[in-house]
Amino acid sequence: MTAEEDLPEVSGYSRVSVLISAVVGLAVAALSLFWAQGLRIGYESLYRVNPSVEGGGIGSDWVFGNTIPALDFLIALIHAADVIMGAFILVMVFIHWAAFQRLAGQMREPGEDVSEAVAADGGSPAGGDGQGGDGA
Amino acid sequence: MSNLDHGKFTRVTTLFHSLLGLDVFLLFFTGYAIMFNDELWWMLTLMGGASGVTAIHRITGIGLVALVIFWITLQIISSTGRSNFSKILPGKDDIDAFIQDIQFVLGRADERHPSARQFGGYKADEVPLLSYIGKGVVFIFSIELTLLAISGLLIWSKTGLAAMFQTKAAAMAFVTFHGLLGVIMLMGVMFHIFEHGMHPAFYPVETKAFIPRSMVPEHHGDEDEEPDTTGIERLSLSPSWRTVSTIFGAMTVIGIVSVLIGSIFDEGYPVPRELAIGGGPSSILLTVGINLGMVVLGVGLVLSMYGNVLRIRWEQQLEEEREQPTAADGGEPQTDGGQPNADDAESEN
Repeated sequence: MTAEEDLPEVSGYSRVSVLISAVVGLAVAALSLFWAQGLRIGYESLYRVNPSVEGGGIGSDWVFGNTIPALDFLIALIHAADVIMGAFILVMVFIHWAAFQRLAGQMREPGEDVSEAVAADGGSPAGGDGQGGDGA
Repeated sequence: MSNLDHGKFTRVTTLFHSLLGLDVFLLFFTGYAIMFNDELWWMLTLMGGASGVTAIHRITGIGLVALVIFWITLQIISSTGRSNFSKILPGKDDIDAFIQDIQFVLGRADERHPSARQFGGYKADEVPLLSYIGKGVVFIFSIELTLLAISGLLIWSKTGLAAMFQTKAAAMAFVTFHGLLGVIMLMGVMFHIFEHGMHPAFYPVETKAFIPRSMVPEHHGDEDEEPDTTGIERLSLSPSWRTVSTIFGAMTVIGIVSVLIGSIFDEGYPVPRELAIGGGPSSILLTVGINLGMVVLGVGLVLSMYGNVLRIRWEQQLEEEREQPTAADGGEPQTDGGQPNADDAESEN
């Protein structure tokens, strides 16, 4: 199906730039880790996963501890961003879902006779290389 | 005549995509097991309770920092990365593609705009490096990942956060920002999985992000014929596509709606905006919906792995053909149209 000569000659990222980027990435990650945690090994206690006011967890800390009303507004603002983006993403899902249905309608049905389908576009069966789409 | 649809990205890009996907999936599973701990109690328990989940979240968080910095550095220091920048900027074509997609769905356009097309087929030359959705994904995910990495590090370093915000409450509000910020990306990733898993021509996974361009032949179809169509009418629909795409589409919608509703009513771990907050799952429906959202992410993780399996198979097939170049297609190996497009050669290839 594919001879080596069909493959493109490519000039992607050089090994040096990949190596430098990897070293920088790892170094910054290590520095971040050191800045955030230091050299101690520790973990969070169950306390953090206890959001209720009644349970006396972080929820009550917030309720009694927040002295900055603007924070409430900022949280509401992010909620709004979530809702707006969520609605937009849903629209995109529906558009693609419908587009996929239409594209599927243009394709051959499973088990459809190949000779009939080829006759429809006036082509010949010889070029039928694209069966299955991904060719892999 | 045209590039096949799967050869858009370099090997580095495809590998980066897989690593980033794996890391982000783990961050989602752990992060939202915390945020939606009422609904995803089983996930929290499965990953070792609060201690285990926060530990995994931090380890993968550091992985995210490394990956993000790696990618930013690579885009700056390499000519390939710099030349790609203009290709990801949104333009008029992208707005046209969005409008034409709506017209296509309504039956007022015969085909999708080249900037929206996932299956280019014979017209693959017209398809840009990234579709309008691809550009949106790059922009939104880049901003989100950067903000999430920074806010995550600030949350991790309590003293760093306290120094910036002075009060403990403000520091806790930051945790909520972090969780709510990730909701946008969580919903976006669900759509991303649907878009690239359920396209009828590529179902069950679009291999563009897994098989690098260097492994994909340059042309297919009739050499000298000007194509009228993409050639999608020559492809056979998979027998399971209608059922699976319908179920998965429904799961995607339910998952997105549920995490959105959950993020509003659960108010985001751990800070309640209102005095009265729920101490358990808001409703059975919400619990089911949020869990379905996690299943969508799980499918995405599996598809990502499957994409890599396909790449390995493809690589093996190429190896076999190299050993028997003429036996593979029964004829002479082609030596003509393999030259890459000049623009593409300069950028992602």
